[in-house]
Amino acid sequence: MNNLLTKKETNGAGQTTPRRTVVPRYQVRENVDAFVLTAWLPGVDRTSLETTVDGETLTVAGSRNLTAPESWTPVYREIPQTDYRLEFELDHRINRDGVRAELSQGVLTLTLPKAEAVKPRRIEIKG
Amino acid sequence: MKLIRYQNTPLYNPISSYTSLRDEMDRLFDVAFPALSSLQQESFFGDWQNEFPIDLYQEKDAFIARAELPGFRKEDISVEVADGILTITGHEKSETKTDKKESAATTRERQVTRSISLPEYLKLDNIGAVYQNGVLTVTLPKSEEVKPRQIAVEVK
Repeated sequence: MNNLLTKKETNGAGQTTPRRTVVPRYQVRENVDAFVLTAWLPGVDRTSLETTVDGETLTVAGSRNLTAPESWTPVYREIPQTDYRLEFELDHRINRDGVRAELSQGVLTLTLPKAEAVKPRRIEIKG
Repeated sequence: MKLIRYQNTPLYNPISSYTSLRDEMDRLFDVAFPALSSLQQESFFGDWQNEFPIDLYQEKDAFIARAELPGFRKEDISVEVADGILTITGHEKSETKTDKKESAATTRERQVTRSISLPEYLKLDNIGAVYQNGVLTVTLPKSEEVKPRQIAVEVK
């Protein structure tokens, strides 16, 4: 169903070819303190990646500039000419202030810490 | 052996008719394309698929191969050229202690490899490779023999 949610970016003039955006391959894991989102974004560097938390929405947008110089003639091409976009809705379980992002060789790791209220805690029994 | 998947369809079970349309759609896809839904399993995503896309370009005196190979360390990638075939391999072995309580460390290993045949002979000693942002770019200079050369032909 995710592919239905991708937004197609079209520019107003419609003269240049619009870049397609796709949802990158991603994975979400949970540990005691946080949810860890890993997204594979090959070709995206630090400057062309934008991770924003706006209210309830977490957006990861990465454009890649894998343009080939004019002098290169393609023999064959398999890498799609697309940008990445991933959107999530955050609920009350996530502490929005503590979101950390790390990008290393095209792999983005987002750590979304859990809110204190949902962390497991031991309750002492009195008496 | 189970041939028909057991299902509680809302047609037969009035209680589950309250499930959302999205759940219904997901179930429909699961039934119609079981292979597709298995792609979403954790096990698949846990490991990188075994192949990766490659672009091959040609320049006046070189071939340029570009491969999407995210998440490796530079030293874990090997590039080989033999008999006109370029082989790119990424091999990673990582040991992580997932839980303090678990004494045994889990070892994760992944290997991806891809071979493409190159259209012409190459100089084997001047191959260069750059790994940046999870994209590997290999420059393969063409050998002298295949560069266009003028040959004088005697006409008798």
